[in-house]
Amino acid sequence: MCDFDALWADVLRIFPVLGGANAVSNDPVEENVFQNVRQHLMVLGSIDTFAAVVDLEIQSTIRNVLVPKFWKHIHDGLVSSKLQGWINDQALAIEALPDKNGLFTQFIDAINELHDSFQSLMQVKPRLIQLVGAETKPTAKTVKLMQEEGIKNCLRDCLLAQLPPNFSVVVGAFYWVHFKLFTKASNLALTTVDSDVFDELLCVGCNFEAEQCCCQRLTDMVNKTNMKLFEMNLIDRLTGSALTALIKLKIKEHISDTCMGIFDRSHLKQLETWLSDVIMSWLTNIFTEWKSKDSISDIEVPESVKSFKVKLTYFMYETFAQSVIGQFFSIIIDYPDSIPAIDDLKICMEKIDMRVYLTESLRNSLEARILHPGVNTMDILTGYVAAIKAIRHLDSTGVILEMVTAPIKDYLRKRNDTVRRVVTGLTEEGPTDLSEELAKGETIKECKDSGTDEFSNWENWQPDPFGIDASIMQYNSSRKMRSADIISMVVDIYGSKELFMTEYRNLMADRLLAQLDFNSEKEIRNLELLKIRFGESLLHSCEVMLKDVTDSKRINAHIHSDGDRTENQLFDISSLIVSAQFWPSFNKESLQLPEEIENEFKKYTKAYEAYKGNRTLNWRTVTGRVNIEIEIGDRTMEMVVSPILAVIIYHFQTKNEWTIEDLSSITKVPASALRRRLSFWQNHGLISETTPGIFTLLEKESEKSQYEDMSLAEADEEDLESAMASASDQREEELQVFWSYIVGMLTNLDSMPIDRIHQMLKLFASHSGGVEFTQDELKHFLQRKVREHKLIFSGGVYQLAK
Amino acid sequence: MAQNISPEQSGGAGGGGSKHSDDSMPVKDNHAVSKRLHKELMNLMMANERGISAFPDGENIFKWVGTIAGPRNTVYSGQTYRLSLDFPNSYPYAAPVVKFLTSCFHPNVDLQGAICLDILKDKWSALYDVRTILLSIQSLLGEPNNESPLNAQAAMMWNDQKEYKKYLDAFYEKHKDT
Repeated sequence: MCDFDALWADVLRIFPVLGGANAVSNDPVEENVFQNVRQHLMVLGSIDTFAAVVDLEIQSTIRNVLVPKFWKHIHDGLVSSKLQGWINDQALAIEALPDKNGLFTQFIDAINELHDSFQSLMQVKPRLIQLVGAETKPTAKTVKLMQEEGIKNCLRDCLLAQLPPNFSVVVGAFYWVHFKLFTKASNLALTTVDSDVFDELLCVGCNFEAEQCCCQRLTDMVNKTNMKLFEMNLIDRLTGSALTALIKLKIKEHISDTCMGIFDRSHLKQLETWLSDVIMSWLTNIFTEWKSKDSISDIEVPESVKSFKVKLTYFMYETFAQSVIGQFFSIIIDYPDSIPAIDDLKICMEKIDMRVYLTESLRNSLEARILHPGVNTMDILTGYVAAIKAIRHLDSTGVILEMVTAPIKDYLRKRNDTVRRVVTGLTEEGPTDLSEELAKGETIKECKDSGTDEFSNWENWQPDPFGIDASIMQYNSSRKMRSADIISMVVDIYGSKELFMTEYRNLMADRLLAQLDFNSEKEIRNLELLKIRFGESLLHSCEVMLKDVTDSKRINAHIHSDGDRTENQLFDISSLIVSAQFWPSFNKESLQLPEEIENEFKKYTKAYEAYKGNRTLNWRTVTGRVNIEIEIGDRTMEMVVSPILAVIIYHFQTKNEWTIEDLSSITKVPASALRRRLSFWQNHGLISETTPGIFTLLEKESEKSQYEDMSLAEADEEDLESAMASASDQREEELQVFWSYIVGMLTNLDSMPIDRIHQMLKLFASHSGGVEFTQDELKHFLQRKVREHKLIFSGGVYQLAK
Repeated sequence: MAQNISPEQSGGAGGGGSKHSDDSMPVKDNHAVSKRLHKELMNLMMANERGISAFPDGENIFKWVGTIAGPRNTVYSGQTYRLSLDFPNSYPYAAPVVKFLTSCFHPNVDLQGAICLDILKDKWSALYDVRTILLSIQSLLGEPNNESPLNAQAAMMWNDQKEYKKYLDAFYEKHKDT
């Protein structure tokens, strides 16, 4: 009928694709060839089928030829096998690539090739339209090729379907280089660095020596490639994820480069400008470059970039907040200087919910940094106070504070010198924050008064922060507690003011006993400040103590002025008369004074009795100090020692040699304590232990003088340290009280679970002046009693051991 | 029947508790009563007396459970008895209601646990307190008042201590866990 072979040749001339994969030709085809083919196809009535065949053929070419060819460029060898494992972590993989420039060119080649093929495929479309003609449009709808984005979509689908895992790394490398080029360009624009400096260095952009810098060439290549990618509608799909990963990496890098360790200024502004100036303009550059060639006027930011920006801003805040939180411990430590950093974090936290992360991370770092045995209690306290200040600045509701500092409180509670340290910190002059806090006590109180009334102040009400475990909130729901000031927070470690005040009283007693000529003004000032805070009643006994001291001075003066007494006395006595009721209990050491000395004391007592009818004195011979003068051999020494030391050396006046037992029985001091005291005189070279247990007076001088000053000071401190029963001893006594209650209830009520015991103690035993008792504490106590076989614990209940 | 109470003891313990009530009217509010009971509890806990003990039975301080050990050198030695003490709102101007919770075979105790003891009835005085009550009941065990028995069988058996002991031990064994 007709010449099919000739027709087929014509068809092949129009659609070289049909002839085989490699037959891509761009030769122009004459109009008459089209006419011929169309006529024949019309005659055969298979023009639709033909279009479909062409369509299928194109798709298969894309799938089987174009795409595999493209992917061949991205073969495994490009990325070494070691890096393969990292593919999951794109950012890392990009960073670790050894030869980014190599990949860069590889990628460009691959894209160029793909684009060429794509171009030739695109020529098929106008030809088909020319062939099929406008009138058959409805049927043509079914043919992909005829659709607007048909080939592009097809290409994209096929590419993605065969995406090799390491491709994103290659893309990443490509953009990595691109970014470097870009920032270099903008850096050069921004900073006016002498070109001399650059000359000697490698070019930052292309890593070639500056003279042969090929940045411009590279940039052109990149821009072309971008354009091609955009034309093929691939840029979003193919490079999106790699691009995001890269940008995230860049953001991280930038934050750690610029913000790490710098807390004294705000970074957010600068970061935001950086993001919009550098990152966003780069992105816009990638996504819009091709347009600037088509239509220069159209420079609006594309929609995809805008949405990208939102995402990236969020990511930047998150990264920044994480970095700040990671360093929050250091921020706490240099608190007043680090306020800008905290402000930054505050802004971030308003945008992103990071509370849980913050509390977790902060708790961990606190635990690692300060809550271990190697740290001084004082340092922990300083850290605690700084943490309170810093976190309060961050979150005024105090919820985060509550959660973060709970472990510190728990830990401090376990240290036995905490109270003592706090009290010292409160009263001592020095760089401690606590004394400053105490001094400004009044102002805080005023502020608090206005703030506590929640209802009258409803306009300033703020909801509790969310994202915090509700049970913890309930645990301490009282707002007042949470907004308490620092002193209260510190005192709160122990849960009661009483224990605190007891310790304060003890320390004050020690101080008063240590320095008989004490600085009463300072003590009174401290006392007044504490009174403002803790109320009069708790500090009443401290007042009495101070008054005792001044009264004693008066009484001393009076008794000394008594002429009768002064005539035949052996030595001067000054007394400190303490009201046993109000002073903390003394420890139970005792000391028997030699008779002559005791007589002097009796005389003093008589004088006192005469002066104050109905009253007498009970001497506490262990505490105090004695001015002694020792003459031995050719030596004389003058020193101030504790009574016990004086008594020891006094006894050596009558006898040169004492066994420790004899000395112990005459002084009524236990041998072990006595031995410790004797070592003081041994250090001074007055006494030596000639045979074990026997001490002899040394008449001759030996070269001991260098010890003197040192030991004297030591001895003083040692004595003062032990004058008072410590707070923990007192706590022990309180526990004893609770124990009798527990015995009482278990005797009568047989067996009880711990929460009921706790409840009963709270109900009935708290009146006895005991301090509050947490259930944990009770548990420890009961477990101890179980170990001591006083209690039996079985089936969740406690019972008395029979 | 308060023959075993030394005046010094009752005065000492009661004095502390009733100090604040001396100048007020006998009709007292609950608070003062519970305050006194708290104080008594504290005294009792601190005194740590052997053989007697008491503690509030739950949150209500007006209901206590007491425990007394049978006095030594009596047939009751080695046995322990539980008692309930119910304090009226007018305490200490009215006596608490004291009953044996553990069944007690005794001339002056009936089978429901009611006790016939003058200081709990007409001889009550505000100077008594939980401690003295328990001490009195403890001594009552060893020295019953057979003139006015609540348990006639026990009163009759009392004279033969050996027989009484035998019966008592069996009775106690049977009832001690009730």
